[in-house]
Amino acid sequence: MPKDSLIHAEGVARRHAAHVVVSNLTLDVPAGTALGLLGINGAGKSTLLRMLAGVLAPDSGRITIAGVDLHEDPRAARHLIGWLPERAPLYPELNVSETLVFAARLRGLSRAPAQLAVARAIERCDLGEVRQRLCANLSRGFAQRVGLAQAIVHEPPVLLLDEPTAGLDPLQAQRLHSLLAELKHGRAIVLSSHQLAEVQASCDCAAILHEGTLDAPLAVGDGAALRARFMARVLDRAA
Amino acid sequence: MSAWLAIARREWRTQFASPLAWTVLAAISALGAWLLLVGIESYVALAPRYADRPDGPGVTDLVVAPMLANLAALMVFVVPLLTMRAIVGERRDGTLPLLFAAGASGIQIAFGKFVGALGVPLVLLAILLAMPLSLAVGTDLDLGKVATGALGLLLLTAALSALGVLCSAYAQHPASAALAAMAAGLIGWIADGAARERGVTDGLLNWLALPTHLTAFMRGVVASVDVAYFLLLVVLCLGLAAMRLARLRELG
Repeated sequence: MPKDSLIHAEGVARRHAAHVVVSNLTLDVPAGTALGLLGINGAGKSTLLRMLAGVLAPDSGRITIAGVDLHEDPRAARHLIGWLPERAPLYPELNVSETLVFAARLRGLSRAPAQLAVARAIERCDLGEVRQRLCANLSRGFAQRVGLAQAIVHEPPVLLLDEPTAGLDPLQAQRLHSLLAELKHGRAIVLSSHQLAEVQASCDCAAILHEGTLDAPLAVGDGAALRARFMARVLDRAA
Repeated sequence: MSAWLAIARREWRTQFASPLAWTVLAAISALGAWLLLVGIESYVALAPRYADRPDGPGVTDLVVAPMLANLAALMVFVVPLLTMRAIVGERRDGTLPLLFAAGASGIQIAFGKFVGALGVPLVLLAILLAMPLSLAVGTDLDLGKVATGALGLLLLTAALSALGVLCSAYAQHPASAALAAMAAGLIGWIADGAARERGVTDGLLNWLALPTHLTAFMRGVVASVDVAYFLLLVVLCLGLAAMRLARLRELG
């Protein structure tokens, strides 16, 4: 495992019944890096992110977060992770502030630090105008930002974002990319998407997940090579 | 703050924001008041018969104990309505993975849900107990008996809440969780009915039945075996709910 790697996965595999979703996957994401996980629908992106988040146990393999083994010390490892699933996990009966306080207290923050952390997350995600609004009444864009705020409220060194801009308009997506650029410092971010343009806009490098296997990451600056590889994988699946 | 406490606090918040909880509070309080008035009416009719017996039943035996016993039977149907969304609601809203991702274990989630689910029933019990206690203004109540009756009702409510959380962990829909918890509670309530019909009062079915362990509390007796029975039920149900949650995490 590289020394500066915040996310390290080795030989990770997961099956659903007879179908192999993720196969013998190895991944390293160092601090200060945003890795885009590219793949078409059903490629295994969400399954991989759920395993990295400790929400889904892999059938085999080992995952460490900032050196903490997710299997041996799951509680400590999960406190180092911020996870935003594809559908932001929000309680409709709570308002935005209460949602974030709950997320902070759930992660063990006491009252005063939790209030500070919530204020910081609200400012970062630009949620001031909706802080008292019930989550049931939020637009998709705001719901996604609240989801991101609950993922970063405890200042985790690792962020896992599952299609964070799905359903957002271009302006909202642009804002989210700017926020991710800000959050990247000192953190390892893994962002899944099936859109090459989104990964190019918000990540440093990208890896293509195809039928459960992960290609070696490519720098997003090398757009032509990335596009060619992605298209080859898509066509391969179509064939 | 412990994860279970955060979960319990959110559960209280959610329960008290729900119209169902307030409807249940209002309806059962009204029913409790009616039961008390019926009890007082019966007492007024019966009291002269016992007036010359110094060891005869008093207002606590003839009014309070029957009222608490009737409320206990009612709890079998009321508590499942308050616990039905405990875990299946999280699954349906897609928020259960958030709890897993935050590092909450199955037992922390189950215990937090259990403590949270007790919120409305505890308020309900406080309201219901205030009614018979108000009789102390005009008569001598056996406060010890009222206290043991309240303890019995509290333990029964805790056991039914744990059963509700367990059913909610296995159900696919809140309504089916409520029905399953009501059915299980009802079976527990009438488990020894046939045995009693045949005059058997100390068999296994009698021991398993909920009323067997409640009756002593209503008579003013706190037996450790009865307390242990209800606590065991709570531990068993929460343990099974925690195992189910661990399984749900494995399944993703």
